Amino acid sequence: MIRCTFLLPLAAALALSPAFAQSPKAAPEVFTAPDKGNCIACHQVPEGAGPRTRADLGPALDGTRMRSLGRTRLREIIEDPTRANPETVMPPFGRHRILAKAEIDRLVEYLHALP
Amino acid sequence: MRFRSFSIATLALAVTTSFAAPSATREEIVGRLQGQLGGVPVSEYALGAAAFDTDLRDQVQQNAGAGDAAVAAGKALWTTRFKDGRSLSGCFPNGGKRIAATYPQYDSKLKRVITLELAVNQCLKSHNEAVYDPTDPATMGAVMAYLRSLADGRKVAVRVPAAAEDKFEQGRRLYFSRMGQRNYACASCHLQGAGKRYGEVPLSPAVGQATHWPVIRADKPVTLQARIRECLEIMGAAPFPAASEELNHLEYFLTYLSNDLPLKSNPWRGW
Repeated sequence: MIRCTFLLPLAAALALSPAFAQSPKAAPEVFTAPDKGNCIACHQVPEGAGPRTRADLGPALDGTRMRSLGRTRLREIIEDPTRANPETVMPPFGRHRILAKAEIDRLVEYLHALP
Repeated sequence: MRFRSFSIATLALAVTTSFAAPSATREEIVGRLQGQLGGVPVSEYALGAAAFDTDLRDQVQQNAGAGDAAVAAGKALWTTRFKDGRSLSGCFPNGGKRIAATYPQYDSKLKRVITLELAVNQCLKSHNEAVYDPTDPATMGAVMAYLRSLADGRKVAVRVPAAAEDKFEQGRRLYFSRMGQRNYACASCHLQGAGKRYGEVPLSPAVGQATHWPVIRADKPVTLQARIRECLEIMGAAPFPAASEELNHLEYFLTYLSNDLPLKSNPWRGW
């Protein structure tokens, strides 16, 4: 936890910097693995930020939108998107224990850092 | 196997729409899909995912003979003599020609939905033959491939008499119920998301989904119920047992939605 506490402000600062936006991290396994988030099955990410797909069941994800939502809101959406939108197709990754808290944290950081 | 704890007991309550007549339900769903998929004629929904992707459509056409071996194996089983000298062929009108487009049917004496697979096993049982495992591609899958080939191009014509409306309704409720760890309903993808891509492949619309089974994947016939069981696994739900009432009712509902669309037997599937 201590490590995370120190790293989060740094990650946020980097995520907001234009230089960082031009060199995105590779998509983490939690984003791509079928038995994890499998987010890539529904969402596209900007070029260089993960595998290129034509998936469009969910909206395309981009850093500007992710950062405007903020980490807290992103975490809430991943935990249980049906709270805000009961009709959504997106799984409740936290409520249904598809992902552990640490995995959701990794996902939040990845999304927040998208270009 | 985390999903075991999210089995039938955790089915979300069905989407609370009122109990409507099957014809009204079909009209409503067709209308909704037409609104979403305006550029694609309803008649093409029978192509499934390929209706929304010209490359997939080409691949299906290029592999048009993919089901030939399964059809030949099914024909051999269909005409094999039982110990009593009869055969599967003798249990059905016209030796089974054109019947596939009319199943599932409601049996008013048994008060249950009879799928084509169940009808085949009823025939075997009535002649003291071992029934087929409904999940076995080499027997039931092959016979389905052959029977469907005998109805290729026929319009799906499934009836839901008044006495069977509760079975249809059970199928409809299951289709709209969120299930399993991923919290999907069948309708989440095949109605709400119809035509959109999950991964690289477009999601087939609910209407037309029942027209093209079995599909031929890696040279083996995969029945509609087998595919639904695969879907349930993807959803993180414990699949209903093969040939269960749940699957039979789902198939009844889905096939009725495909009424008037042409049956397309044994298309290749590489996805």
